[in-house]
Amino acid sequence: MSNSLIIGQYVPGQSIVHRLDPRTKIIMIFFFVFIVFFANSVPSYSILAFFAFGSIVLSRIPFRFILKGLTPIWFLIGFTFLLHIIITREGAVLVDLVVLKIYSGGLIQGFAISLRFFLLILVTSLLTLTTTPIEITDAIETLLNPLKKVKFPVHELALMMSISLRFIPTLMQEMDKISKAQASRGVDFRTGPIKERAKAIVPLLVPLFVSAFKRAEDLAMAMEARGYQGGEGRTKLRILRISGRDWVALFLFAVVLAGLFATRHYS
Amino acid sequence: MRHMQSSKLLKMIILALMGTISLALLFLNFPLPFLPPFLKVDFSEVPALIASFIFSPIAGVIVIAIKNALYLLFGFGEPVGVAANFVAGIMFVLPVSLLYHKYKNVKSIVSGLVVGTIVMAIGMSVINYFVLLPLYAIIMGIEEYKSVEVVRQIVVIGVLPFNVIKGIIVGVLFIPLFNKMHKWIEQERSNFAA
Repeated sequence: MSNSLIIGQYVPGQSIVHRLDPRTKIIMIFFFVFIVFFANSVPSYSILAFFAFGSIVLSRIPFRFILKGLTPIWFLIGFTFLLHIIITREGAVLVDLVVLKIYSGGLIQGFAISLRFFLLILVTSLLTLTTTPIEITDAIETLLNPLKKVKFPVHELALMMSISLRFIPTLMQEMDKISKAQASRGVDFRTGPIKERAKAIVPLLVPLFVSAFKRAEDLAMAMEARGYQGGEGRTKLRILRISGRDWVALFLFAVVLAGLFATRHYS
Repeated sequence: MRHMQSSKLLKMIILALMGTISLALLFLNFPLPFLPPFLKVDFSEVPALIASFIFSPIAGVIVIAIKNALYLLFGFGEPVGVAANFVAGIMFVLPVSLLYHKYKNVKSIVSGLVVGTIVMAIGMSVINYFVLLPLYAIIMGIEEYKSVEVVRQIVVIGVLPFNVIKGIIVGVLFIPLFNKMHKWIEQERSNFAA
């Protein structure tokens, strides 16, 4: 049913990772993306892997959900790994297949880069697995608040994002309804040359645009009637609060960071 | 005529909904034969074009930004690819809407689509060559992408023809759509201009 349509990766839950403030999660992931590139020794990679897998265990999200989200990435990881094995010519020759020689350096490097890539994807997808899009929007709005000083329309953009998110199921349903109505008249969306298929989308888009404008007018009127006056002094339904567990999480992350820089090679 | 504040709010809501439609169209993507599977064609620029005609070229940019931000929020894409899609969208939509606002006829849209396709194809080739492929090379540690010859080949065989074909396919859809909707677009445009 398009009613129960779920898009995105979010898996509802009550774990400690779910309940962290979205801002804490965003800040940690932002730094994680950078520090992954500093790992260059077995202990430093182990620390990062321990952090990533530890967070997954704490999030209580079944590992198959995470693996499902990774499907498009496997190909890239495998490709990178193979490329390194074939190209790198360092260290001892491990396998000699006449046309292809596998060096120990290639194996190590291929493994390290794939692991780095894997950890990167794992941790970033943990954000979208444990945080609803609306929470992320709220968090980004507060994190970007300082930009208001340079007249960047933070509130307006956040409002548009929230409205957009709210209407995804509605408009998807509408699209489904219109395409069924057109299909009942014999329009074929799925077969035929690309040009014909492109033309078949036209009768789907026209009513979609027109009704979106009508919806927008209704919503604008409803918001005005309830006294919407822009961002200044607007109160929020969900208030973000930094609590004790956020400080604990940030502290643990700082420990990971320190451990990484203590154990990496410096040359 | 609409009240000032409400007209600004209405405009914001419309752009948000156009962003939603754009995201939905992004999901209906399809790969092209003979090109790598990660280069996919979709019609997500169409709502941005409509919005840019009714309001302003900047409105089109906002719709594209909303689409890409939503895509990231749901955890579908990695930031580099999404940023590339954003830049490509802007390079395609801006020329079309600028020409439309100048001449306001079907002919200006056809020439706008041609210019937009050329700008996007050349622009994306340049960006891939100097920024995106080297960036992927660093992220994935692929030494190959650092070689000028390999990067040049990826651009010439993949990026350049892909963007030309994408521009043509979107144009083929957009012209009949515009023919059907131009009266409505004009009417909404004068509503909001008033």
